[in-house]
Amino acid sequence: MSTIKIDPLTRIEGHLRIDTRVEDGRVVEAWSRGEMFRGFEALLVGRDPLDAPVITQRICGVCPVSHAVASCKAVEAALGLVTPANGDYLRNLVLGANYLQSHILHFYQLSALDFVNVEDLLGYSGSDPVLRELKAWAGSEVASNRVLPVAPFLPKLPGDYPSNTQWNLGALAHYVEALEIRQEAHRMAALFGGKMPHTATLIPGGVTCGVDVEAVENFRMRLRRVKRFIENVYLPDVIAAAGLFPAYAGIGRGVPNYLSYGVFDESGSTWLPAGILIEGRFEPLDTARISETTATSYYDQSGSLHPTRGEIRPHPEKAGAYSWLKGPRYNGLACEVGPLARILVAVAAGSKPIGGAVDDLLKESGLTADALQSTLGRHACRALEALLVAQRMEEWLNLLQPGAPSVAVYASREQGKGEGLTEAPRGALGHWISIDGGRIERYQCIVPSTWNFSPRGEQGEPGPVEVALLDTPVNPAYNGLEMARVVRSFDPCIACAVH
Amino acid sequence: MNISRRTFLKDAGLLVAAMGMGPALLPTVAEALEEMATGRAPILWLQGQSCSGCSVSLLNSESPGPADLVTRYLSLYFHQTLSAATGEAAKEAMARAIEAGGYILVVEGAVPLGMPEACRIAEENFVSLLTRAASKAKAVVSVGACASFGGIPAAPPNLTGAAAVSEALERAGIQVPLIHLPGCPPHPAWIVGNLVQVLKVGIPELDEFRRPKRTYGQLLHEQCPYFANYQAKKFALHPGDAGCLFKLGCQGVVTHSDCSSRGWNGGVNWCIRGRAVCIGCARPEFAKDPAFPFYRLNEKPETV
Repeated sequence: MSTIKIDPLTRIEGHLRIDTRVEDGRVVEAWSRGEMFRGFEALLVGRDPLDAPVITQRICGVCPVSHAVASCKAVEAALGLVTPANGDYLRNLVLGANYLQSHILHFYQLSALDFVNVEDLLGYSGSDPVLRELKAWAGSEVASNRVLPVAPFLPKLPGDYPSNTQWNLGALAHYVEALEIRQEAHRMAALFGGKMPHTATLIPGGVTCGVDVEAVENFRMRLRRVKRFIENVYLPDVIAAAGLFPAYAGIGRGVPNYLSYGVFDESGSTWLPAGILIEGRFEPLDTARISETTATSYYDQSGSLHPTRGEIRPHPEKAGAYSWLKGPRYNGLACEVGPLARILVAVAAGSKPIGGAVDDLLKESGLTADALQSTLGRHACRALEALLVAQRMEEWLNLLQPGAPSVAVYASREQGKGEGLTEAPRGALGHWISIDGGRIERYQCIVPSTWNFSPRGEQGEPGPVEVALLDTPVNPAYNGLEMARVVRSFDPCIACAVH
Repeated sequence: MNISRRTFLKDAGLLVAAMGMGPALLPTVAEALEEMATGRAPILWLQGQSCSGCSVSLLNSESPGPADLVTRYLSLYFHQTLSAATGEAAKEAMARAIEAGGYILVVEGAVPLGMPEACRIAEENFVSLLTRAASKAKAVVSVGACASFGGIPAAPPNLTGAAAVSEALERAGIQVPLIHLPGCPPHPAWIVGNLVQVLKVGIPELDEFRRPKRTYGQLLHEQCPYFANYQAKKFALHPGDAGCLFKLGCQGVVTHSDCSSRGWNGGVNWCIRGRAVCIGCARPEFAKDPAFPFYRLNEKPETV
């Protein structure tokens, strides 16, 4: 028996530590530990309700739009504001643009280096200008007497990187291209969001910027460029990775419960549907069944509480605690959230277009439907979702009505309670607000990575990532590379998870 | 290295223009970029109580673009979001960098001075890592509202005792050149331009809040395209209205930044052009006072 620790687990958002116990070359126990806490929910108390979307966006620099949307919806529910159709579609477009930047960033900048042999670059002799420049740079770094040459690409963990030079070089060139494509997606988000990261225009009642025809066409042109990248580069790369690392279709299976709140408003309902799959059984979402435990978290709290009653009393020395994350549960069950959950829920809810797209993906990647619940399946569903969202965004652009309002007339209220549900790129996101005397009386967020990276609960039951790591085959010489691949497939965001 | 002098001059030209520097600085900036590219000025980037928004903003840099920044210009010894190194390899990379010293230390996020366990990296409290890293740095650059002034984590009740990097260094008795680049997040041109300045020209001229005067010397309001509306007292009273946003709570009148002339995300937009109020994210007081909301829509009518 041995233990392997990954601390810090880099190339994610935030501060994460993973501890594991390994027996006979396999992980038999795992602990996911969030290592940073700020106290957002406490500092919102006593503030003006309209501060909430401004402040909560700053929980996360990677998915601020999702927090803005959840927060606006919570405040709108509490104050009785109804967004006009333009407001919904503009939000969908800003949120959608950030999905694209986040998914692309996640695959290339955060995950790809686990699957690519960077050293192949030094032997490159072709004529691609991007690769030639990269090689020249890397070569001069290696030749120098620098302390850490070719950073941030080296040093890396030792491991079973592919010997397929074409893949390695292609992925590196795409790493560079992806930097520019995700930046383009942020320009799109800024066209209607004001700026990125941290939007300005999303406020309770809608979006302040209105529908400017020139901005719409500007957005459309950039969307085409990003969509082409997803079709021709991102999705094919994920499918190629599935071919090179077939074992990961069987590694990283998590808990059998998948949750989605539904996202992208379209005339009263959401395009991607809400629901929960419990061991393959579909049920409609009932948020009364959600609770958060702090059994093994660095907080004192009176039992497992619904977010409308959640407390925030940090206790870093608490005995038996090992994480700053709380443990969300649905009817007592740990649930996985994210693109995989959204796709599985959409298919179970009977969405024919998404079902068809999944069938195509399975055919092209050689994955079975069951194998989607894996490390590779998470990457594949994320890439597929990027394409589906990009396609849908073209339709939302066409539904915008120039001249019609994009924000409701504001009406103040002294009291109210509201629930704001949406989906961040990483999964189900909920904000709960209660207002009294015109000020925030209570505020709670349950964030996607809180679900996925949850520590053990009341009965000692592990969270989704702690389950997904079990049985991962481990080569002791690789210092945890295999486990890092599993963990990164969830797209961790720890600033979000703890907040 | 087969990157030509022309490449540096081209990038320098764009940067000089973006920073509003005079053309006389062009050769100096080109030289600075060349030095950055030859790795004589490595950067160690640490994240405390942060949201990674400043890092994401850095990746939105237009000139030089993100690929050139990440590879040839920034020499990122370690960056939690970008480094291939993970776990033991990451810990070792940080250790080697700190042992060698002589880097620019960039810090993103606040420092939990009141509850050191609220931020840990590799089993070390962030306060301690920051102190070790700063004591070997050539200069420290606090990027963003949190590192510069405590930011949102330091807003009351401030459960973790979150503070600015400057306060942590003062407590530890560390003397090192330090500059603040506030903003939530700061514009990528503010980060890149000032890093070049620190590397080549030295610490830029700073105001009383340690902000570079060149970047933060201008009142946003004075260059605002709605300035004429303000003077004519044509005010927006509801979100979405035309006119100056002052009465909705816009803090452009007290915020020092060049957003109004620069624009964000390649210049496609910025807060006020998107008809949202300026929330004063570059101000030292940003988000600190709950009695001073971003929007004034909930004020009683007689006080508006």
